[in-house]
Amino acid sequence: MSESPILSVEAVTAGYGRVTVLHDITLEAGRFGNVGLFGPNGHGKTTLLRTISGLVAPKSGHVVFDGKDITGLSARAIVATGLIHVPQGNKLFPDLTIGDCMALGAYSPRARPHESENREKVVKLFPKLAERWRQRVRTLSGGERQMVSIGTALMSHPRLLILDEPTLGLAPKIKDELCAAVMDISRGGVPLVVVEQDIEFLLELSRQLFLVDHGVVKTEIRPGESIEHSEIMAMYFGH
Amino acid sequence: MSVFSDIFFGGLFQGSLYAMMAVGLALVWTTIGVFNFSHGVFMMLGAYFAWQLVAFGLPVVIAFPLAVIVMAGAGWILQASVVRPLIGRPNIVLVVVITTLAAGSLIENGALTVWGPRSKQLPSLIEGNTTIAGVGVSLHQIAIIVITPLVLAALWSFLNRTRLGLALRAVAQNEDASQLVGLNVTALYGLAFAIAASLAGLAGIFMGGYRFMNPSMGADPLLKALIVVVFGGISSISGPIFAAYLIGFFEAASNYYFGLYWTPALLFLVLIATLMVRPEGIFASRSRGLA
Repeated sequence: MSESPILSVEAVTAGYGRVTVLHDITLEAGRFGNVGLFGPNGHGKTTLLRTISGLVAPKSGHVVFDGKDITGLSARAIVATGLIHVPQGNKLFPDLTIGDCMALGAYSPRARPHESENREKVVKLFPKLAERWRQRVRTLSGGERQMVSIGTALMSHPRLLILDEPTLGLAPKIKDELCAAVMDISRGGVPLVVVEQDIEFLLELSRQLFLVDHGVVKTEIRPGESIEHSEIMAMYFGH
Repeated sequence: MSVFSDIFFGGLFQGSLYAMMAVGLALVWTTIGVFNFSHGVFMMLGAYFAWQLVAFGLPVVIAFPLAVIVMAGAGWILQASVVRPLIGRPNIVLVVVITTLAAGSLIENGALTVWGPRSKQLPSLIEGNTTIAGVGVSLHQIAIIVITPLVLAALWSFLNRTRLGLALRAVAQNEDASQLVGLNVTALYGLAFAIAASLAGLAGIFMGGYRFMNPSMGADPLLKALIVVVFGGISSISGPIFAAYLIGFFEAASNYYFGLYWTPALLFLVLIATLMVRPEGIFASRSRGLA
C-alpha cells in the first residue's frame, strides 16, 4: 500500500540566527500511514516541526505538502493548506476561554465552514472541555490544556496533524486518555506526524519511525521491520 | 456640595482624557509588547489634522471623524516603518523606545514646519456652557465625559465580542500559537497601532477644543498616559481605564485641596507608594493580555 508521501522534507537545513539545528535533513511521511519521530532532546525534532509549519524559515531545502511546495510560505499560508501543527507544551492562550480557543482554531477561511461540525467532533473526543467551555485556559490542568491544544488544531480542519510531544509531563491516567484520543483522531482519517518520547505509544500509533539525532535522520524504521525496545534504547544511548 | 461636584466633574473630565490616551498605549503594549513613545505625537497629529480639515471648510461632524480615520492610517504607517522591521529582535523593547521617540521627534518638528509655532484652537464638540449641580461646565467637557465611555465600551466589545478582537487578544498572549491557527500577526500588529493612533487622535481633538494646540502638546499627556498605564498595570486594557479615572479624581481633589503646584509631586508619591506595594500595578493580572 505504498502511496505517495503526503509530506516530504527534502534536504532541509534550518536553525536560529547563526546556529544551525537541522543539517540537510530528509524524510518522507504518509506513505505508510502515521509517522513517529523520536530522539534525544535538543537534536532538532521541534525545530523540524517548526520549519514544516513555517515558524522557522529553512536556509535551504524544500518542504512539500501534498504535492505543493510550501517552503518559505508564512505559517498562515501553511495553515490554509490544512497542515496543522500542535506545538509543544501547553502555553496556548492563558487568558482565553476554551470556547475562545475553539473559535480561533476555526479562524482560517478554510476551516470556517466546518466550524460547528468540528466543534461537535472535539466535544465528542474531549467531553471534559465541554464542561469547562467558559473557563480560562490558565485555570486548567496540564492534560486539559493539551486537550485544548489538540482541540484547537482539530477546529482548523486538518488534512495532516503534527503533534509535538502531546503527552509530555502528564500523569499516567490522563496520558492514557490523550493517547486514546490521538488514536481516535488517526482512525477518523487524519494522518499524523507525532514527536513523542514514549516509544511504546509511537509503536502502537505508527508503523514508520524516524530517529532524529544531531539534526539528521539517523535511522528510519519501516513497516515490517521488527524493532525491539532494547534496540531503541541502544539508539538513544549507544553511541 | 459644590466642592464635591467640582472635584467630581473635574475628575471625570481629566479621567476621560487620560483613559483615551492610556488605552491606546496599553493596547500596543499588550499586543506587541512595546511602548510607543510617539503616542503623544499621535495625539498632536490628530488635533492638527482635525484643525486642517476644519480650515479647509469641512464641517466639524465630518472633519473630526475623518481626522480620526486618517490617524488610523498614520498609526499603521508608523508601525510598518519603525516597529515591524524590528519584530523578533531580542532587544526590541529598548530599540522601539528609541525608534518611536525618533519618529515622534521627526513628526513633531514636521508639524512645526507645516503648521508653524503659533497656537491654534479647534472648535468645541458642542458650543456653550451649562450648570450642573452648582458647577459651571462647558458642553464640550460634558461631551467628552459622555463620548469617552462610549468609545471605550465600543473598544471593549470589539475586543471581546468579535472574532477579529479575539484574534487581537490572542496575539497579545502567544504569538507562535497565533500563527499556528492562521492569524495574520503583522496585520494584527498594524491594527493595534491603527486603533491606538485613532484613540490618541480623538484625545487630541478633545484637548484641542478647550486648550491651545501647539506641536509639543502631546508630551505631557504621553507622560500622564505612561503613569496611568504603569499605575493601572500594563497587562490589560481595563486596568489603565480604571486607573485613568482614579488618577483623574485624585488630581481634581489634590488640585482643590493642595493646589496645582503640589499635584504632580503628590501623584508621583502615590504612584511610588503603590508600586512598592504592588509592583505590577493595582489592577494587574500576572500575564500580558487584553481583557
